[in-house]
Amino acid sequence: MPMPASARPESGASGLSRIIDAAPLVIFLGMLIYIGFNAPNFMSFGTMQLVLNQSVPVVVVCLGLSIVVMAGGDDVVSGGIDLSIPATAVICAGIIAQLVTNTDTPLLLAIALALGAAMFIGIVAGLMVTRLGMTPLLTTLALFVAVVGVTKVVTSSRRINVDDPFIIFLRDGEILGISAGVVITLALVLVFYHFIHRTKWGLNLQAVGGSCEAAEISGLKPGHFLFWAFVIAAFTGFLASFFLLARGSGSSPGTENNLMLEMVLATFLGAAFSPRRVVTLWGAVLGAVLVAALSIGFKTMGVNVFWTGLIKGSLILVVLALAALSSRVKS
Amino acid sequence: MNQTLKSIIARFGFLIIIVAFVIFFSAVNPVFLGGDNLMNIVEGSAILLIVALGMTLIVATGGIDLSVGIALDFGAAFAIVAMKEYGFGWYGAALIGISGGAIVGLLNAALIVGLKVSPFLATLGTFFIGSSVQRIFTNGGGPISHRRMPQEFRDLAVGDVFGIPTEVVIAAVLVLAYFIVMERSIIGRRVHALGMQRSAARVAGLKVNKYLILCFVAASMTAAVGGLIASANIRMFTPLSGFSYLLDAIAAVFIGAALHPRGRPNIPGTVIAVLFLGVIANGLNLMGLNFNTKDALSGIILVSALALVVAQQKLRH
Repeated sequence: MPMPASARPESGASGLSRIIDAAPLVIFLGMLIYIGFNAPNFMSFGTMQLVLNQSVPVVVVCLGLSIVVMAGGDDVVSGGIDLSIPATAVICAGIIAQLVTNTDTPLLLAIALALGAAMFIGIVAGLMVTRLGMTPLLTTLALFVAVVGVTKVVTSSRRINVDDPFIIFLRDGEILGISAGVVITLALVLVFYHFIHRTKWGLNLQAVGGSCEAAEISGLKPGHFLFWAFVIAAFTGFLASFFLLARGSGSSPGTENNLMLEMVLATFLGAAFSPRRVVTLWGAVLGAVLVAALSIGFKTMGVNVFWTGLIKGSLILVVLALAALSSRVKS
Repeated sequence: MNQTLKSIIARFGFLIIIVAFVIFFSAVNPVFLGGDNLMNIVEGSAILLIVALGMTLIVATGGIDLSVGIALDFGAAFAIVAMKEYGFGWYGAALIGISGGAIVGLLNAALIVGLKVSPFLATLGTFFIGSSVQRIFTNGGGPISHRRMPQEFRDLAVGDVFGIPTEVVIAAVLVLAYFIVMERSIIGRRVHALGMQRSAARVAGLKVNKYLILCFVAASMTAAVGGLIASANIRMFTPLSGFSYLLDAIAAVFIGAALHPRGRPNIPGTVIAVLFLGVIANGLNLMGLNFNTKDALSGIILVSALALVVAQQKLRH
């Protein structure tokens, strides 16, 4: 669980605390190895490919959520969080699918309109949080509902198939023998990583999230970074819509709830994997892939699908509790 | 001039919006302002109000409860199964239902107080586990119906006390109880204290953990009462149906908090916000809109209303 920076001594980690540090990751890997032994097909290239393909939309929205959390601080209720990203992804997918399939609009125009919608949502969220001072949790939850409502009008709550070659390429295409969606997502992760950790703007954004007051004293404007974090988050929603369209061969109603839960889980689980218990880009990506691996692992093991949520939920709570415990042992 | 306008908006902004919506809806459909329909609005808001009361308490402690829907479902499930499978009377079934809700609250409290997981993630975990338990128990989410439930239990939803629907009476009693505890008692002061300055409250000798446990259990038991009414109304338990109250309950609490002079979650504010949501839902229904359009409109109205109350709160300062 995320803790304020002051509660985290950086140096002098003893052997014990190092073991507890790694425990969340060890539990997850142990679980996967267990599945590997019990489901013979699990440890194969095909299954790994499937896991990565499944996790791609979640990974992309996790990038957006991580950036908002980094800019706004990691207190879920009062700090930065953006629950509207999955709704943005779903409405963009809906707009593209509806226009391309049902009205013969050229793909590029449909994409441009979807991008416009995403930017609008991001700007509204950013303004509401930074100008009106609304709680991000509440703002983005309400936006989530509003956007899902509008999506229903756009798609008439129907499933819409998309057979555009570009979307098919994202689903079936390969780059260097690895599926195109995965390669493109990896590239995206690297771009975002560079942006957040290697540019001045990105480092300033992290500084603002780490300690708003300190950053303000040194002349940074927290509102500026938070605003753009929401816009970037909406942009990741827009990007994720392509992978949603590819994964589902079109847009389907009701995708948003699952995507939201998985996004939140993966991102905060990622924080449990990081040694300092803070949300990081790689942690979120790892979280998304591991959660997808577990879901598919349970399926290949033949675990009743009704039980999956229970096992996943308990496991995640164990990991979060361990992370909280290790923070206490250290301090 | 500008200054007067500002002060009017600052003081009455949200009220003006409510009145504007009422005028608009009654202009579109005269039925809206009829006595029957006004009672419909109150009756239709009862369950949401009950759930929102518990949420107000949790938000006042500085936390959030994403598992109120699960507590509501458990309340309904335990009561229905107690009557159907074990032949309990209405009274026993209601108590068992409320205890079912308490289990959810205890799990949350154990995670938050015992394991130090943050309320958001702990209750999200409870939500996952609770949803899964319901799927397992009902073999994938089929409803459990109990057509021949005792009339007294059924009356929780369809009966009346001196002409006032029972569910409205139950909601009113709970509102009063919550109001007294949260706004007029030392317990309420302490709850607000630990929500505003937890470390200060701890230093001052407040038993923070005890209060957190009490609040999470109380909120879940309250939501379970909502579950009893919901199950009595349709004479069945529908798995995972509580989720639909979650967002509205959170929204109501925060709208209510924005109406408060110091921005604190409070019971009168929550009641006003729930009734506002009820007016919108009922009015849009009476307009006879397409289902999808209605969803879109109510979402947009919700976002605008939130922005407005917060802007109004900002203007006051």
